[in-house]
Amino acid sequence: MPCEEMQQKIEAYLDGELTLSDQRDMEEHLAQCNRCSAVLHNLRALSASVKKVGTVTAPISLRRKIKSGLREMTGEGADAFNWRHLLGVGVGSAVFASFCVWFFMTFTALSPLQPQPTEELIAAHVRSMMVSHLTDVASSDKHTVKPWFNGKLDFSPSVLDLQEHGYQLVGGRLDYLQKQPVAALVYKHRAHIINVFIRRADSAATAKPAGYTHQQGYNLIRWRKDGLDYALVSDLNEKELRQMAVLLESQLAPK
Amino acid sequence: MANKKDRQRFERTMLVHHGAAYNLALWLLRDPAEAEDIVQTAYMKAFEHFSSFCGGNAAGWMLTIVRNTAYNALQKAKRNSNLISFDEALHGGDGSCQNSFNTMNPEDTLSAMESGAQIMAAIERLPVEYREVFFLREIEGFSYKEIAEATQVPQGTVMSRLSRARVQLQKILVEQSKRKKANAL
Repeated sequence: MPCEEMQQKIEAYLDGELTLSDQRDMEEHLAQCNRCSAVLHNLRALSASVKKVGTVTAPISLRRKIKSGLREMTGEGADAFNWRHLLGVGVGSAVFASFCVWFFMTFTALSPLQPQPTEELIAAHVRSMMVSHLTDVASSDKHTVKPWFNGKLDFSPSVLDLQEHGYQLVGGRLDYLQKQPVAALVYKHRAHIINVFIRRADSAATAKPAGYTHQQGYNLIRWRKDGLDYALVSDLNEKELRQMAVLLESQLAPK
Repeated sequence: MANKKDRQRFERTMLVHHGAAYNLALWLLRDPAEAEDIVQTAYMKAFEHFSSFCGGNAAGWMLTIVRNTAYNALQKAKRNSNLISFDEALHGGDGSCQNSFNTMNPEDTLSAMESGAQIMAAIERLPVEYREVFFLREIEGFSYKEIAEATQVPQGTVMSRLSRARVQLQKILVEQSKRKKANAL
């Protein structure tokens, strides 16, 4: 068979797509044609290198995230499952989860030691998703969410529409952090929930908010503007959370 | 609504492919965080439509959904400049691929294979259509027929894309290694 014709089939040979008789012909040809052998050699080298470096191990968290997402779809209580695993006990999970919430709230109210704001912010974020109480007012319309806070807080939080940037407003919620009522605005970016906590800046706390923090698998970004403290909490990656923070900060109108 | 039993059956069949799903998403999107999100979304979608899976090639079924989810994301983000500009005639040629292999001697190609980072960088320069057939063939070991089903193109197109992917990749690698040698001098 002419060399040109065999060359057309080298890749199919490499990929195991030739019929047995074609395969035999190819092997015969390769045995006597240096040119075609070299082509095959190159292709095999490429294939071997790509196999060697072309894959990475998926993040460990991915499997867990998929499983917990599936459990949510069947209504099996994904978060309760995680807590149980976290604590390594097989207590009736829903009861235990609510106990945790109760204990946490009581503890923070009574303890003279204030918990670290970072931990408290994360706890509030986790809690918001755990007890199916993400929003008190569910709306993607800022003109619905903003007025809802009237009379519930001694300030009026700016509610921004970031839809065009891919951050969808889901709603708002009243939360308590360090015995102070705070506005929690809930946004969604792809599958990620972002809580934006807004509270009046504590005049006693002179320290400025910490900027970026990463803790317990969550990303936090905090800043202060016009007498209000802002905190973004989410499992969204740092890059995109920062992008959202920049968007919010730049669009917040001065009071 | 699906129940616990459905979920367990789904997990038994499909969860083992999450590594391949992640790598495919990473090859297509080139961003780890986004790849992770896409795989999660794809698994939710797959579970929703699990009743349409009638046994057989589970990896093929799952990776098709991952691939479609990734393409949707690419289109949505309008980052698919190489999707839009992709043109078989322009990127392809007329089957003169084999000649290109000939122009390279084995030493050139082999020395070009030195670093994994270089190879991945070269792969990233391929159009997304080439990357996906190349991934499914070289990494997942799919047959031409299986790739054709997953990517919804005729088998002939799979073969020509695969061939062009190989030629382009070898060219890029040889170029990179030449540049490296020139810099070292």
